[in-house]
Amino acid sequence: MKATKYILCGLAVLALVLGARITSLAQNVTYDDILHSPSHPENWLTYGGNYASQRFSGLTQINKQNVNSLKLKWVYQLRRTGVFESSPIVVDGLMYVTEPPTTVTALDVRTGRPVWRWTADLPRNLLTIGLFPTNRGVAILGDTVYVATIDAHLVALDAKTGVVRWNVEVGDNKKAVAITQAPLAINGKIVVGMGGGEGGLRGYIDCYDAKDGKRLWRLYTIPTTGEPGVETWEGDSYKYGGATTWNTGAYDPELNTLYWGTGNPAPDWNGDARKGDNLYSCSLLAIDADTGKMKWYFQFTPHETHDWDASEPPILFDATINGKKRKIVAQADRNAFYYVLDRATGEFITGQAYAHQTWAKGLDAKGRPIELPNIDPSTQGTLIYPSITGTVNWTSSSYSPLTGLFYVNTREQGAYYYKGHEKMDPYNPNDIGGGGGQKLVNGDAAYTAVRALEATTGNRKWEFKMVGDSWTGTLVTAGGLVFCADSQGNFFALDADNGKPLWNIQLGNALRANPITYAVDGKQYVVGEAGTSVSVFGLP
Amino acid sequence: MKVIRPWYAAALILALGVLGLASPAAAQLTQAAPPPHAAHPRATPESIAAGKALFEGTCANCHGIDGSGANGPNIRSAAVNLGPEGLYARIRGGAIGSGMPAFTALEDAQVWVIVDYVGSLGHEGAVLATGDAQKGKEIYDANGCAKCHAIAGQGGNLGPELSKIGVLRGTVKLQAILADPGANLPLDTSLQERAAYPAYLVYRVTTKDGKAIEGMRVNEDSFTMQLRDANGRLHSVQKFEVQKIEPLPGKTFMPSYKGKLSDKQIDDLVAYLSGLGGAQ
Repeated sequence: MKATKYILCGLAVLALVLGARITSLAQNVTYDDILHSPSHPENWLTYGGNYASQRFSGLTQINKQNVNSLKLKWVYQLRRTGVFESSPIVVDGLMYVTEPPTTVTALDVRTGRPVWRWTADLPRNLLTIGLFPTNRGVAILGDTVYVATIDAHLVALDAKTGVVRWNVEVGDNKKAVAITQAPLAINGKIVVGMGGGEGGLRGYIDCYDAKDGKRLWRLYTIPTTGEPGVETWEGDSYKYGGATTWNTGAYDPELNTLYWGTGNPAPDWNGDARKGDNLYSCSLLAIDADTGKMKWYFQFTPHETHDWDASEPPILFDATINGKKRKIVAQADRNAFYYVLDRATGEFITGQAYAHQTWAKGLDAKGRPIELPNIDPSTQGTLIYPSITGTVNWTSSSYSPLTGLFYVNTREQGAYYYKGHEKMDPYNPNDIGGGGGQKLVNGDAAYTAVRALEATTGNRKWEFKMVGDSWTGTLVTAGGLVFCADSQGNFFALDADNGKPLWNIQLGNALRANPITYAVDGKQYVVGEAGTSVSVFGLP
Repeated sequence: MKVIRPWYAAALILALGVLGLASPAAAQLTQAAPPPHAAHPRATPESIAAGKALFEGTCANCHGIDGSGANGPNIRSAAVNLGPEGLYARIRGGAIGSGMPAFTALEDAQVWVIVDYVGSLGHEGAVLATGDAQKGKEIYDANGCAKCHAIAGQGGNLGPELSKIGVLRGTVKLQAILADPGANLPLDTSLQERAAYPAYLVYRVTTKDGKAIEGMRVNEDSFTMQLRDANGRLHSVQKFEVQKIEPLPGKTFMPSYKGKLSDKQIDDLVAYLSGLGGAQ
């Protein structure tokens, strides 16, 4: 799509709603609406902003010229405490946020006032092994909101009232299955993965009928006896090898293909009893959306021993590379490398490190890492960059078709890795990932940075350094802005072309969610979430 | 660059101090009555080793393999700050709002050995002081240490408070600090949202009109920095509105006592400091 088309779409929508104050709350989102979400930039319809998971908004009202006049419009304080990592969905005047561990709250976007709230009834002996009990958002389709609960259920709620339509079990929480991700709604189907890989289980991804919650298919991410790939696991290690699917993926409607990342193999920091590549851990899976069959896979980190899940949301875009039009899926992986793949075939096109790393010499012609010797965790500690947290973790990157840049919030920090047990002790909350772990390399040399990479090559165009940690994804807009935040409480906007800071505000607590933007009554707003609050900013 | 008036700063520090002390322990902690401390025997090498093994499986994922922090905060001083019973209650009850779960499935004995292990983290490699603590106090008083350091509420506030320094630092570290304070800055581990960083690090900030200020970093984020100069005055800096910000590694406002005090005097001073906080 040409750049100007996005801008025209945004302007057209704003013109349509300008002056015509919409007060009716339709709450009926069709598959077609989501397919054409770039034409509806006033709404934010999926976790990743569109099926391509680009977190790009065509809205232009807030732009480089006026962003420094942004003002706070309202704040919603959560009624629940805990780690708040929810990426809101906005539809026709309502904003759906999820509060930890699993509460869905619908807010009036004009005022921030709650319209309804639903809280999951959770077991007292909830198991959350190796993850925070939080929730990162909902999906919407038709007049129904879909949320996955921390005890691994998928629940359909009436979008106008929060009344439960159906509730199905995705996994057994007593066997460590827990879900923190937002589901993905496609044509009549709800796709959801699961987490809990540090608890000793076998990962999978599910698809349910949006109408009644009937399971349509399940794809296990680790092969079992008799299936190709099981030979990449030693002995019976495949039975508890993890490779969960704990973050939301992307979808190509034309290819009818889902793109979903998988987590680390277990046990985390000791690969002795699971020699082999450990397929399909730390991989990107291309999945037929109708059948759940795997079309292809690409493993970023074979036989991984550093907890570098490949769960970062992949981004889809089309580009011309070497004179050839390509359908691309790109991922800035937790292992410090940026990958450009053909999303029709899984072919590796190019890739390179986008952050400091000391574990691989580089990537070979097929994109497989050329590992350096002595990188495994050890009893005395092995110094490796990046740390367990990785160069990026669950937070989303973004892509702008206007700049052709991929914006990734990058962490620069190493760690001493310590070896854990050889065998998992499944479902034991006192044996996270088989023990072992890291000692971080501290000091001022550890930092985070928003980096703009040329999306087709991974070449760095600019960076904006932050002090300390940051757990916020990026949002890029047709207004030429990249929004991000640090963990010191700064929510800020950068020039998407050169990274120059244009606006910032101190919100008083760490921001741990992906920012979004929307428009209502002809006005554009941006949303930042600090601590346990939702803050909405607009022009005066 | 703005100068914060001293009384504002004092009020701010007081307010932060009250919040910092009162909030996490009292308000956010789920109440879980610990058994009497007497029920738990004194820590032994065996209990610490057992605690270490449990810690690695249960706690290290968030707090780092040695308690120095990972996805969760640094807790190497938790046993000092909370006390053994407080640490027990924190493990049992969790800390609402922090991501720290309540570990209800652990046996009492398991919780106590974890407490023992965490309690040992501040003492690793500790060597008992050999000097005369009474003479050390006289040396402390005679050298004006109280101008910058406070003990039990008495003294200045330019340098770190020393009331519990014997628990927080080993004797070898104290000797190193007295000899070369600039090379032995303490790490600030209080902020979960950032890696531990050297506290008291001196910076020089040059404004766009060429004025320079040197001060110790009190806090810093991506857009601002707060400094305290040698006179105790606070400065608030907007990073993108100044010409240059340079760290001055090795420089401190504390003098080196190497050569100023004899080895015996240093040993005595270390013996005095090591006893602060009930460590010996």
